[in-house]
Amino acid sequence: MARAIVNPELCQGHTLCNFAAPDVFHLRDEDGHAYVAVDGDLSPEQLEQARQAELGCPERAITVEE
Amino acid sequence: MASDDRVVVEFDQHSTEYRETYPAKAHELREQCPVVWSSRHDGFWVVTGHDVLSAISKRTDLLSNDHDPDGERNGYQGISIPERGSTRGGFIEMDPPEQSEYRRILNPFLSPAAVKVWDPFVADFTRACIDDVIETGRLDFVDDFANIVPAVLTMAMLGLPLADWEIYCEPAHMQVYTAPDSPNWDRMIDSTMRMVGRLAEYVQIRKTEPRPGMISALLNAKVMDEFLPDDGIIGTVTLLIGGGFDTTTSLLAGALDWLDARPDERPKLVDDSRYLDLATEEFLRHFTPAQGGGRTVTQDCEVEGFEFSAGDRMFLSYAMCNHDPNSFPNPDEIVLDRFPNPHAAFGLGVHRCIGSNLARLDFKYMLREALRRMPDYRIDHSGKEQYESIGTINGFKHLPATFTPGRREGPPLRELMADWQARLDAEPTPENLRAAEGAL
Repeated sequence: MARAIVNPELCQGHTLCNFAAPDVFHLRDEDGHAYVAVDGDLSPEQLEQARQAELGCPERAITVEE
Repeated sequence: MASDDRVVVEFDQHSTEYRETYPAKAHELREQCPVVWSSRHDGFWVVTGHDVLSAISKRTDLLSNDHDPDGERNGYQGISIPERGSTRGGFIEMDPPEQSEYRRILNPFLSPAAVKVWDPFVADFTRACIDDVIETGRLDFVDDFANIVPAVLTMAMLGLPLADWEIYCEPAHMQVYTAPDSPNWDRMIDSTMRMVGRLAEYVQIRKTEPRPGMISALLNAKVMDEFLPDDGIIGTVTLLIGGGFDTTTSLLAGALDWLDARPDERPKLVDDSRYLDLATEEFLRHFTPAQGGGRTVTQDCEVEGFEFSAGDRMFLSYAMCNHDPNSFPNPDEIVLDRFPNPHAAFGLGVHRCIGSNLARLDFKYMLREALRRMPDYRIDHSGKEQYESIGTINGFKHLPATFTPGRREGPPLRELMADWQARLDAEPTPENLRAAEGAL
């Protein structure tokens, strides 16, 4: 099972994950911090985008597991 | 590293040498050590390595932003090295949990969802600024364009009169570009104090005449059942003006200056929004308008193998870390579609620039429109003038350019400003909690 995790302790709302993987990472209205919007398995395309988001996160707040 | 093993350098981020050698100077320091000790400004650590920055920026238990000029808590000197001003500079010179409370109040105005409502405002003012010069074939990208839209938008979001942007413009810029050893330092302090004085008056006015916007939100907010202190609100409003006025302006000027010699890059930035998204992050990384932040070490500690002592001053150089080749291959080259690009241009950790979403929105729209409507512009390098010091903000005082004249698309700026002021004035007035509770 492929899934993405945002560590809320580390996320500071840079929002770059949402640029890289708009279907996987949504941003909270109140402060722009990210949360994972996909329940269950990521599709192959989502997985690829989530990996890009992981690499691009300035706070290293994202983990992608397979 | 034991403290007596420290690598000592003579580094001054406000110096002409740094301005003239940025970003190459970063490599000279980092190659000696990712954390060096500068003997200038009474001594301070300079973090130049991206990995160390990532690790240490999260440590609010070890680093403080606090500014306590009156020695009521710890005597810490805040985020400017050397210390600047005799008052606290809003929530960026506070630590959690106090800092978090201010951000909790302001975040709803600055989240990605919230800033989107300002799209039409940014579009209108960008259009009008260009219209006011489009028939002449000549403009100053700073004075006639990049200065105006972010500043007027900041006024609107604070709930201040839009036309007042001009009163704050010069003091806001002087505040960031004047070097501590400049003959203009005293003049800068005077102009800053006048700006703060005027803002303080408006904070008082908003107690009885609330307007939609961040000032009234700060005045209405309660933390632990208490209203926020006036000096915290005034410092925060001054901070939001500094952050709102100068940073997006500098990023735009840097990008337009770089694109001067690269006309082939311009059409793709206009037509391809994904490319513009990536390019925006790359301009942010390369120019790093807000170059870094000062901190005070709160306790003897070791981070990533480096030892620090309580009371040490430290400059987190976002700019130099953004040019660390270990994280960014060919760091001094601007690669518009660079990816991944986990830059630190908005800072890292809990002090991430609160206006980052607004900055991106503003920058992308303004750059695209400038390139669309003045596609053949050329910078007049004889009139180009960088900030005296880029140690606080890496920006330009003037960036004149010429282009093939075009046609207006709408009414002039003056008319637009009056229209928008009327629209904003017609918005419902927020409830005045202070009046309701007799706390005026």
